[in-house]
Amino acid sequence: MTQSSSYPPAAEASSAQAPVQTASPAPHTASSVPEPDPAAPAFISAEPLDIVGLLAGAHHPGAGAVVLFSGEVRNSNKGLAVNFLEYDAYIPLAIKLINEIVEEARRKWQLHIAVAQHRIGKVAVGDTAVVVITASAHRSEAYAANRYIIDRIKHEAPIWKCEHYADGSQQWGNNCNCHTVTGDISKHIYETQ
Amino acid sequence: MKIHVYAKLKDYFQPEFELLETIGNTDELRAVLVKMNGGADELLSSCRFAVEEGFIDKDFKLKAHDTVVIIPPSSGG
Repeated sequence: MTQSSSYPPAAEASSAQAPVQTASPAPHTASSVPEPDPAAPAFISAEPLDIVGLLAGAHHPGAGAVVLFSGEVRNSNKGLAVNFLEYDAYIPLAIKLINEIVEEARRKWQLHIAVAQHRIGKVAVGDTAVVVITASAHRSEAYAANRYIIDRIKHEAPIWKCEHYADGSQQWGNNCNCHTVTGDISKHIYETQ
Repeated sequence: MKIHVYAKLKDYFQPEFELLETIGNTDELRAVLVKMNGGADELLSSCRFAVEEGFIDKDFKLKAHDTVVIIPPSSGG
């Protein structure tokens, strides 16, 4: 078997709920957005993410802590004024990987709720590009799990942002350069530590 | 063999295209792509490849009917 994946297969379905599950195909992306799986914690949307609605649904009687991370579009980067970002994604694999990452975190930190959603398409300054919600009995687990999920999504999920600047130029982001350190394009820094 | 590319690779190739050459593995595929557009050489060296929604390594034997997705380093979030 020579086909490989970086992660173990997902275990049983997560108990996490993602209350907001609306999406429509994005004409500017290579792939259409698939119908969301209500039982899966990961979701990719061409529509704005409803973080208020997500948070409203992220309460659990066993959870004393809920952490919400919202990754939002800044109006500048490296001294350049940013007008907006545009996200591209290989959606089937991105959803698969994010589900695996979230499920791994859910088991590791015994989370009651774990949800991750990511935008594709054009995202305006101030809008949410990615949201991660974790809920656990105590805050340390919810914080740690949330950081773990967003860090791995940024490094590993096949999602790319293109920065569109006020001067009319644009540039694709190239955040993950772990291979320059690990010497292996399939290995990230934290996998060799 | 169908090829799908994403992100910055779209600056060098059409998002989806077909190759008629016989290509046995990802090293051969990378060489064909560099021949098509040498400007993509450095970027292609940092890309991963996927077939049927799973990453493949250089030993994976590609088949003529495969759809290969070429994946630049992630920059989501």
